[in-house]
Amino acid sequence: MTSLRRSAAGLGSAVAASLVLAACSAPANEAVQDDSADQPWEDVVEQAQGQEVSLWMWGGDPQGNAYVDDVLIPAAAEEGVTLRRVPVASTQDALTRVLSERQAGTEDGDVDLVWVNGDNFSAGQQAGAWLCGWTDQLPNMAFTDPDDELLTNDFGNVVDGCEAPWHKAQFAFVYDEERVPNPPTSLEGILEWTSENPGRFTYPAPPDFTGSVFLRQALYSSAGGAEEVPLEFDQGSYDDLSPALFERLQEVEPDLWREGETYPRDSVALDQLFIDGEVDFTMTYGPATLTQLVENGTFPQTTQVLQLDEGTVGNASFLAMPSSSGQQAGAKVVANLALSPEQQALKADPGVWGQFTVLDADLLDDEGAALFEAIPDSPVVPPYAELSEGADPELSAQWVPALDEGWRTNVLVE
Amino acid sequence: MGSLRLLAPAALLVGIVSAISIISIALTAFGLMPLVGQPRLSTDAFGALSSDLWLGLRESFVIATTSTILALILGVPAGLALVSVSRIRAALAALTSVILPVPHLIGAASIGLLLSGGGVLPRWLGVAPSDWPALVAGSFPTAIVIEFAWKESAFIALIIAAALSSRLTELSEAAAVLGAGPWQRLRRVTLPMAAPSALAGAIIIYLYTLGSYEVTWLLGRSYPEALPVLAYRLFTSIDLTARPQAAAAALLAILSAVAIAGVGIAALRRVGVLR
Repeated sequence: MTSLRRSAAGLGSAVAASLVLAACSAPANEAVQDDSADQPWEDVVEQAQGQEVSLWMWGGDPQGNAYVDDVLIPAAAEEGVTLRRVPVASTQDALTRVLSERQAGTEDGDVDLVWVNGDNFSAGQQAGAWLCGWTDQLPNMAFTDPDDELLTNDFGNVVDGCEAPWHKAQFAFVYDEERVPNPPTSLEGILEWTSENPGRFTYPAPPDFTGSVFLRQALYSSAGGAEEVPLEFDQGSYDDLSPALFERLQEVEPDLWREGETYPRDSVALDQLFIDGEVDFTMTYGPATLTQLVENGTFPQTTQVLQLDEGTVGNASFLAMPSSSGQQAGAKVVANLALSPEQQALKADPGVWGQFTVLDADLLDDEGAALFEAIPDSPVVPPYAELSEGADPELSAQWVPALDEGWRTNVLVE
Repeated sequence: MGSLRLLAPAALLVGIVSAISIISIALTAFGLMPLVGQPRLSTDAFGALSSDLWLGLRESFVIATTSTILALILGVPAGLALVSVSRIRAALAALTSVILPVPHLIGAASIGLLLSGGGVLPRWLGVAPSDWPALVAGSFPTAIVIEFAWKESAFIALIIAAALSSRLTELSEAAAVLGAGPWQRLRRVTLPMAAPSALAGAIIIYLYTLGSYEVTWLLGRSYPEALPVLAYRLFTSIDLTARPQAAAAALLAILSAVAIAGVGIAALRRVGVLR
C-alpha cells in the first residue's frame, strides 16, 4: 500500500484501519519454499492446463519482445498454458509490484515470472519475495551443468532453486569501425581515447542496468584487475577501492558527451546517441542482438564488438517466480519450456534474439546438439566462447547499489 | 445545500483516495511504514535527501513557472483570436482540438525527436549535434517547457474562447457604440472577461506541471531531478530502505502543490470566480 501507483489507482481495497495495521507489520522476509516441489512433473503439467501466466520483462529490446511474442507464447499455448508478456521500463518496476502485492498479502498476484538477475534478484530474496526450491523439478534442468558457477551463483547470491536459468550474457563495448579505425583495447584505453576525442563517449547513468555494469567494469580497471576486487561486498574494500574509480570517472567527465553535465537515461538512449552519430561507442550486456541491429540497418554496417584485453564481466539471467503467484504450475511449465533445447537454440539464433544458451553442449543428445550447430555465425558478434574468454565474474549484488549511489554523490552531483 | 449533495459522491471518492495515499506517504516518509525492518519514527529520510530535495523543488518550480507563463503567452491571444477573428477561427479551432487529445508522453517523445542533438530540426538546419544547443536534458529544462507550453496553450485557448463566446460580441458592440476604440475594448472589456478563466487555467497548468512525471523524466537531465522524477527513482530503487526517501520527496511535492493551490484559490476568490 505504500506504492504511489497503487494509492493513485486502487481505491476499494484500502481502508484507513487496515492501513494502520499494515504500518505495524512488515511481512516476514524468509524465503518461501515450494511445498509442491516433489510433485511428479506430469501432475504439474496437468495442473498447468488453462493457467494464464504473466511474464514481466524489460521491454526495451524489440528482438526479445518478438521472440517471446512469436516463439515462446505459441509454444506455451501448445503446452496448454496462456503466456502473457508484460513489458516494463525497468525490472525494478516488476519487483516493486511484487513487493507491493506481498505487502498487501495478495495470493494470486499479477506477476508469475520475472526476467531477473543480480541486484533485483537479491533485493527480492532479501524481502523473501521469491518461491524457492522449485527448479530441480523442471525436466530440462538436466541439460544444464549443475557445477556451472554462472547458473548456481547470481551476482554472489546462491540461486537455491529460486530462479530458473534463461540465458547467458557478456558485457561488451560496441563501436563503429569507420569512425574509430584504431579502437582502444582496454577500459583505461577507452577513457584515454575519450580525453583525446572529447564529447564522443558517454555511459548511461546508473542505476540503469547497463550504466551500472559499466561502473563495475571500470572498478575492475581502476583497481588494477578483477582479482583485486573481492566479490563479496564489505565496506572496507568499498572504501579502499571506490575513491580511485570515482576520481578517474570525475577526471574524464569534462570530456564526455555534453561535458558530463548529463548522462543518457538508459542504454536505449545511449544507443540512440550512437545511431545519431553523437557518440562513437555504445555498450550492451546483450551483444548477440547486434547482428540483427546491423542487418536491419539500425546500427551502421561497420559496427564492431570491442573486446577488452582484461576481459569483460559476464552473467546469467533467470526466470524467477514470486511466491505471490497464483499460477505456479503454469509458470513452471513455461520456465521448463524456456529451458528446452529447441527454445534455447531458437533464442540463440541471431536472427531471432541471439541470447547465449545456458545449456551445456556435453549434456545434450545428438538431436539437441544439432540444433545449436545449425545456428549461423554472426558477421558482427564473435561466438560466446571467444567473447567470454577471460571473463570477469560479477560482483556480489550488494556492490551494485553501493557503487550506483557512490557514483551519484561523487561523480554526478559533484 | 442542494449543490453540496450533488458534489458528495465526487468529493467522497477524491477524499478517500487522497487521504489514504497522503497518509501512507506521510507514514512511510517518517519511517512508520518500512518495507523491511521495524517501524520507527524518524526524519532521517528528509535529512538524507536534503540537498536533492531542495534542488528538486527548485527544478519543479522552474519548470512549472516558465511552462505556465509561456502557455499563457501563447494561449491567451490564441483564445482571443478564436472568438474574434473569424477568418482563422476554423483553422485555430482544428489546431487546438488536435493538440489537446495528444498524450503528454507522445508529445514529449516527439519534442525529443525534434529537438535533440541528432534530432529532426538540427538535421533540417544542417547543424552538427555538437553545435546544437542542449535543449533536451540541458541545464535549463527548455524541451520540457516547450512541450508543456505547446500542449497547455491549447487548453488555455479553449477555456478562454469558451468564457468569451457567450457575451463578448454583445458587450464589445455596446462599448463601441459608447465610443470605445479597439484598444480600449480589448483592455476594458475583453481582457477583464478573459482574466478569471486564464487565472483558473493557469492554476490548473501550474499544478499539473509541478506534478508531471513522464515529460520531465523523458526530456530532463540526470541531475538535479524534478521532485516527481526523484520520488519515482527512489521508489523503484532496489535499495528497499530508499522507500522513506521516495515518500519524503513525494510528500514535499504534495505540500508544495497544496500551497500553490491555496494561493490560487485565494486569487480566484479575489477575482470573483469562487465565492
